[in-house]
Amino acid sequence: MTTHTLELKNVTKRIKGKTIVDGLSFSVREGEIFGLLGPNGAGKTTTIRMIVGLISITDGEVLVNNVNVRQNYETAMERVGAIVENPQLYDYMTGYKNLMQYARIMPDVTQERIDEVIKLVDLEYAIHDKVKTYSLGMRQRLGVAQALLHKPNVLILDEPTNGLDPQGIYDLRNYLRLLANNGTSVVVSSHMLAEMQMMCDRVAIIQNGKMVRIDEITNHDEEKDVKVHFHIDGDVHQAKQVLSDGDTSLVLEIIGNELVVETADNKTIADLNRQLVLAGILVVGIQRKTKTLEERFLEMTKKGGNVNEVAIPVNK
Amino acid sequence: MKWLSLLTNEWIKIFSRLRTWFFILIPILIIIGVAVYDKVATDETAHENWKQELTANIEADKKALEDTKKEDGDEFFIEMLESNIKQNEYAIENNISPYEKTTWQYMKDMAPISFLIGLFVIVVAGDIVSSEFSKGTIKMLLIRPYSRWKILLSKLIATLGFAFAMWLVVIVSTWLVGGLAYGFGGIDQTYIVQSEGGQIKEKLIVEYVFANIGLEFIELTVLVALSFMISTLFMSNSVAIGVAMFTMFAGDLVIMLLQDKEWIIYTLFANMDLSVLIDGQNQFIQELTLPFSITVLAVYTMVMLAITFTVFQKRDVKA
Ligand SMILES: Nc1ncnc2c1ncn2[C@@H]1O[C@H](COP(=O)(O)OP(=O)(O)OP(=O)(O)O)[C@@H](O)[C@H]1O
Ligand SMILES: [Mg+2]
Repeated sequence: MTTHTLELKNVTKRIKGKTIVDGLSFSVREGEIFGLLGPNGAGKTTTIRMIVGLISITDGEVLVNNVNVRQNYETAMERVGAIVENPQLYDYMTGYKNLMQYARIMPDVTQERIDEVIKLVDLEYAIHDKVKTYSLGMRQRLGVAQALLHKPNVLILDEPTNGLDPQGIYDLRNYLRLLANNGTSVVVSSHMLAEMQMMCDRVAIIQNGKMVRIDEITNHDEEKDVKVHFHIDGDVHQAKQVLSDGDTSLVLEIIGNELVVETADNKTIADLNRQLVLAGILVVGIQRKTKTLEERFLEMTKKGGNVNEVAIPVNK
Repeated sequence: MKWLSLLTNEWIKIFSRLRTWFFILIPILIIIGVAVYDKVATDETAHENWKQELTANIEADKKALEDTKKEDGDEFFIEMLESNIKQNEYAIENNISPYEKTTWQYMKDMAPISFLIGLFVIVVAGDIVSSEFSKGTIKMLLIRPYSRWKILLSKLIATLGFAFAMWLVVIVSTWLVGGLAYGFGGIDQTYIVQSEGGQIKEKLIVEYVFANIGLEFIELTVLVALSFMISTLFMSNSVAIGVAMFTMFAGDLVIMLLQDKEWIIYTLFANMDLSVLIDGQNQFIQELTLPFSITVLAVYTMVMLAITFTVFQKRDVKA
């Protein structure tokens, strides 16, 4: 049985009559990296603020380790570490003293742990400098350090790679994976698709405060998202005609000299190929392509009707 | 138990700011400066014939009194002159030199320095909540496993602690500097006051000094609560500092403008300067008494704190 460390049930936020987060539900499993993906203004940060109790929840429930955030805030927050938007630190103190601020008030943070975390985010060289001398990336690192201090089992990072250099992003990704392997649930938000694809196990796509869908990040999972490209030597339009005559429900598209079919399992691929061959069409290559998360994301969040089309099956 | 570490944190934050050290240093420098200046500039033998001086003063006052009466002058001025004459006469009779200086006298003279302390405390109290909002650090603090009221309470207690500590430092410094400059004696030294009935009385200076110390604790608490409330409501340190300073300094002006209104005695302005009530001299509003003022202040403080905590508890933090 999978354990859920963070659960949102129909969480809604309304500010002055405007619904910013609308009936959002999802559960994060123990040891998974869960992504919140959405365009600017989708409501990612608002959702995170509700989870950590910075703003009130208009409707719905948030459970952290099965504790209701609204009813039992102190217990719920004990094993949560978070960065909400940019980590804001005390400029007039050193990085170390900033960390000490949080180390002091969180349970069971030892001196070894503090040193360990500093080393982890690679800030040893500057930890005794005033934070006002830090670069954006250094602040982000310190922010990550404070979120990790008390070994949270729910780690929530809002745009954690913001300001990090490639090495920093790479290190963070590896470290988050390590944490997840050891049972920590990690929630990251971002509008950077490629990054989410590399980092997360599952991604929730959010738009206008609503859940569009939740995707497992694997190579080729859902049939819907697999496209088969038939390389045709000859008349592509004729090939398209052949297939649509055979099955009118097929979604077909022509790109250059490729006929792209949205489908389907191996059996249909073989079948389609046979139809083409029988019609005397030269198929010089067949390729399966999974839609990248980026393609899916753009497709789903682009303005216009098909957002809702995609959203409907998820909500059923 | 862990709540104490919240308090430690706030304390550390206050003392990590450079300005805090100036706030402590400035009053101490003033205390030393005044004593040194006084020592260097005044001739200690100048007032050896203080009785003759006072007699001369009395003569001058009497003359002024006659003139004023003839011209149907200001009643307040007449009263003041009469009181001066009486006090000086009493001083000569009872051999109480107004020029005798000890550390206690110095502490009494330096009592107005409490305004400066009030000012600095307003700055700290006005900043401690709002600066965390303006810098955004509040969200890093609020996501900890502590209810909001605990976090706010730690800030309140830290500010009060700072205010009281600063006041104590100033008191001890004044006593020490005064003692080194004028000697530590004078515990039985008296001064002259005119009580309400127009009677002239002798009072111990130490009594005044300690009453003033105690009352300043009350005033500081009110100032902290006020500044704290505005800082929390408006999330702006400048508004908080402005309003609190206005209450503290412009109080007299407001009272003058509104003195014929009956409800003036229930305002914060009218009750902010408790030390004038110790002897009841130069009191603007005659109806005020210490117990009354303290009660009014206590009610205001409670209400202000209640508002602060309620608002803070419910606020959506978007910093
Ligand atoms: N206090 C508020 N009053 C009104 N609208 C608000 C308020 N706070 C946020 N919003 C709106 O809510 C929406 C979601 O904002 P949010 O910060 O959650 O987006 P986000 O997904 O984190 O975006 P980004 O990728 O830019 O960080 C935005 O359209 C924003 O304008
Ligand atoms: Mg955001």
